[in-house]
Amino acid sequence: MTALLEIENLHARVDGKPILKGVSLSIAPGEVHAIMGPNGSGKSTLAFVLAGHEAYEVTDGSIRFGDEDLLAMEPEERAHAGLFLAMQYPVEIPGVGNLYFLRQALNAVRKARGLEEISAAEFLRKAREEARRLGIGEELLKRDLNVGFSGGEKKRNEILQMALLEPRLAVLDETDSGLDIDALRVVAEGVNRMRSPERGFLVITHYQRLLEYIVPDVVHVMVDGRIRRTGGPELARELEARGYEAFVGRLAA
Amino acid sequence: MATAIETVREVTASEYKYGFTTPVEEERFPPGLNEDVVRRLSERKGEPAWLTEWRLAAFRRWQQMEMPDWQKVKFPPIDFQAISYFAAPKQKVRPKSLDEIDPEIRRTYDKLGIPIREQEILAGVAVDYVFDSVSVATTFKKKLEELGIIFCSISEAVREHPELVRKYLGSVVPPGDNFFAALNSAVFSDGSFVYVPKGVRCPMELSTYFRINAAGTGQFERTLIIADEGSYVSYLEGCTAPMRDEHQLHAAVVELIALDDAEIKYSTVQNWYPGDKEGRGGIYNFVTKRGLCRGRRSKISWTQVETGSAITWKYPSCILQGDDSVGEFYSVAVTNHHQQADTGTKMIHIGKRTRSRIVSKGIAAGRSDNTYRGLVRVLKSAEGARNHTQCDSLLIGEHCGAHTIPYIEVANRSARCEHEATTSKISEDQLFYCRQRGISEEDAVALIVNGFCREVMNELPMEFAVEAKKLLGISLEGSVG
Amino acid sequence: MAERIGRRRQIAPDPSFAARFEELTRRLSEPQPLAQARARAFARFFELGIPTRRDEAWKFTDVTRAVNRPMRLAEPRPVAVELLAPYRLGGEQAHRLVFLNGRFAPELSDCARLDGRITVTSLAELARTRPELLAHSLDALDDGRSFTALNAALVEDGAWIELAAGSQLAEPLQLLFITSGREEAVMAHPRCILRLGPACALTLIETHVGLGEAAALTNLVVQLSLAEGAFLAHDRLAFAGANQTLLAKLDGELHARSRYCQTTVVVGGALVRTEQELRIEGAEAECLLAGVALPRAHETVDNFVRVHHRAGGSHSDQHFKSIVADRGHHVFAGKIIVHPGAQKTNAYQKNDNLLLGDNAEVDTKPELEIYADDVKCSHGATCSDLDASALFYLRARGLDLETSRALLMHAFAREVIDRLRDESARALAERMVTARLGERAPLLRAEPLEEAS
Repeated sequence: MTALLEIENLHARVDGKPILKGVSLSIAPGEVHAIMGPNGSGKSTLAFVLAGHEAYEVTDGSIRFGDEDLLAMEPEERAHAGLFLAMQYPVEIPGVGNLYFLRQALNAVRKARGLEEISAAEFLRKAREEARRLGIGEELLKRDLNVGFSGGEKKRNEILQMALLEPRLAVLDETDSGLDIDALRVVAEGVNRMRSPERGFLVITHYQRLLEYIVPDVVHVMVDGRIRRTGGPELARELEARGYEAFVGRLAA
Repeated sequence: MATAIETVREVTASEYKYGFTTPVEEERFPPGLNEDVVRRLSERKGEPAWLTEWRLAAFRRWQQMEMPDWQKVKFPPIDFQAISYFAAPKQKVRPKSLDEIDPEIRRTYDKLGIPIREQEILAGVAVDYVFDSVSVATTFKKKLEELGIIFCSISEAVREHPELVRKYLGSVVPPGDNFFAALNSAVFSDGSFVYVPKGVRCPMELSTYFRINAAGTGQFERTLIIADEGSYVSYLEGCTAPMRDEHQLHAAVVELIALDDAEIKYSTVQNWYPGDKEGRGGIYNFVTKRGLCRGRRSKISWTQVETGSAITWKYPSCILQGDDSVGEFYSVAVTNHHQQADTGTKMIHIGKRTRSRIVSKGIAAGRSDNTYRGLVRVLKSAEGARNHTQCDSLLIGEHCGAHTIPYIEVANRSARCEHEATTSKISEDQLFYCRQRGISEEDAVALIVNGFCREVMNELPMEFAVEAKKLLGISLEGSVG
Repeated sequence: MAERIGRRRQIAPDPSFAARFEELTRRLSEPQPLAQARARAFARFFELGIPTRRDEAWKFTDVTRAVNRPMRLAEPRPVAVELLAPYRLGGEQAHRLVFLNGRFAPELSDCARLDGRITVTSLAELARTRPELLAHSLDALDDGRSFTALNAALVEDGAWIELAAGSQLAEPLQLLFITSGREEAVMAHPRCILRLGPACALTLIETHVGLGEAAALTNLVVQLSLAEGAFLAHDRLAFAGANQTLLAKLDGELHARSRYCQTTVVVGGALVRTEQELRIEGAEAECLLAGVALPRAHETVDNFVRVHHRAGGSHSDQHFKSIVADRGHHVFAGKIIVHPGAQKTNAYQKNDNLLLGDNAEVDTKPELEIYADDVKCSHGATCSDLDASALFYLRARGLDLETSRALLMHAFAREVIDRLRDESARALAERMVTARLGERAPLLRAEPLEEAS
């Protein structure tokens, strides 16, 4: 079976400083992978490299997305191809309405995929339904994109966008940070609803807590720009129990 | 319903889609300006003697004046003798009804998207169509007449309502006010005239659409709007010109007068030909616009979206004379390629408790220069005056310039003035976020810029807001990447 | 804005200036290079003329009446030592140069502790010993400003100060300018040239004190250069007399990673115009300017500021305040210019004014001129009477109206005063400001706040 995402020997740097130092990873359709690791290990860098942020310079390695060369694509082309990045710090854009933006994005993606534009009524119905499930009020939909949203509201809004854009691979970058337990459950349910045999997930997190709700198939531990260990869900629990420091220490030893 | 971005896409297929020329037979004066030309112009328009003299006085004044040099914008000296001061499509008499209009001119306005018709798209708008130096048509006149509203070309107003014209012409912008106002006063060709009687709320938008067609001409229109006590009028101004390698001068004067409790809302979407990517050609848009809030509780609100012209140089202003009067200025100025803009406003607080609000959004891209220049002056008499000014500039690319030059002069202790301004570049994070969600870079720029300007766009009447949104996208085409 | 056409932006200088120039050159009979430099400067002064309000740089202040009239060249007048005592700042260890009507007064100065880290030469001495060097530096600064040219033509004294690389002085250096006159109007044109080598550090206290009621013009020029990594704290206090005019021009050059922190307090003077042009030439330099002025009666305080960012990653901040009473007049015309290529510049500008007099006036023009896109620049300006809700709050807590007003004004000024680097300068500034704010204020200052309320 073809992998959904195939990362090989990925090296990347930011401001000339090497961050990723040879990451290899393969995600098959339907799989949920988690990447855990201490702060500064390169988790978020990997997310931005996947989405094509130009501040992150790939110096070696390759990434295949389905049968396409991901690194050759522009950020919006990656989005059109079905890659979605739920950001740790979603950006605020004053003056641009939340729903308006969502519809622009959805139509751009649909158009690229050869689908017809969604009608205003259909769009509103879908958006409202999904928003309701995520506990996003009508008022939030009408506000400017992420402007004045609380941390939790921003994260839920990311999941809302993901649900409507229906990606093939969703990368969730520290989606659990800044969420209380109820919000965490809502977000996780949103993700779980989207799990399907065709869709892959890459869940980046610092804590095991999120993985209680989104149970991964595979867990990777990233330290200093490399994946040091790969295992099943039990690996996450081991980390939680023993802490990163012990883990990093053992790895270093 | 198409969304803004798609509309932008459609329009951006062509660069400046209003750049065509209309093949009509024109009557025009040979280039050059002297007292004789002023007299002939006045005669050609069949004006009364007082107006001829008024023009001549302005001309003599103009001859004594020098071109100002304090502005930021730079351009080679203008040869005023090389300009033709009158150009008009040949027509024996002004058409009695809209059906008699020259089909070529009719086609021009069809192509511009503002057909000369009293129906469909423009159902809620009465339009005065100015083609080069003359008004060619005015729609909905009858309907407005029933309410006592006068909406006609200024030439017609001179004939039909001389007492009003004589009373107010030059009362806000005196002929000697500045170099270009003096020139305009001497040679103004046509323009619109509006009078809204006491207590009447004008039920539709009034609009003038200016079109420069002929080459080698300047356009010098004059607009005069009077809102009598307790009345309200919303007026829109639009404009386009063909693409030509030469620079053409547009030196208009707009005067607004609001009496007690009257309100005038004046909106402009300025899309004169900006010149090409190398800065060849384009309109010099040197305009004097000023409103006088003469009455108590009167209000004048300027909204402008400036995307066109090689050079935009103007300061729509409010003289807040009546107690409790209100002045507003909302502006979006976009410059790209080699365009230059030096624009802003003046708020002169004279009356008690007068209030003013200024919101200016400047966007500079390419190699353009974009300057906000504004004056807030609180006179000693302006007890309790208030002003709030917000000026934001957005830079796209590293070869453009954005400048903010506010003057704040306060001579009354009970006044409260606040000015805030920021300058920053378009955010990489915002761009990336949009692209990550599948929106192309160019669309993302249009989206972010529209968001940046929304506070101003919201002030535009519906019919104009859509047009203005499109223009923003077009103007910034090619500014990234 | 629409300037009226045909009005002149400058007028011809009073003929007496030529007489004074001749008188001076005859008296000094300096060697060629210096005499020529003066002659060039004087010709330039006549060419530039006296600026009128038609000159954009002088839009809000009429300088012609104060300056364009017959004045004598000031003679040093002896001053009782005890009169100076309150103005001797910087503590026991400070180096101090005292100037009487623009002339260096060694007998009143404290130069005994100067050592190899810092070289101080009076300009009069420099003119004798190294005329070509002075000539060169007079020639070097032509800013198109007539008063700079006039200073170059008529300068008689001042200071040449150099800090060798790495010199970090803990003790401050004070430049104390005393201006006094009898009946006839006098003028002085001192000039100071200050050069900080790489990684130097210095606290400079510049104090202007006016004594007596006679009319006088002090036309100061300061040339400043900060080499890489240098640090200069510059406390400026101006207490000019009711009939005195102070024109202070500062021209500064900031190189990479240098830091310049200037704090100015102006209390008194018919016209005090501080003009500065600071050029950030090196990356990551920092330029912080703050000022507070309290014009009253017919006084005018005019701040004219230009900060040029010519190198990337640099930071500048201007914060000027005023409390304007009676018929006082305050002007702020500040401009930030970010030149092409000066990316990652952060530049801020703020002007806050309290307009308290019924005939007072505030004119402010905070300008941004920006030619680089990756920048963060902002400015703001406010003008109003004291905040009504704050006043109400204080009165509701039991303070009377006068005390409440004094308290708020003091708090407003204090934000700037607190930025003065030198403690004694801070204390003097507080005393002067308090005295000006009225009799209630000292009470508040002397007692802890708890007891007052």
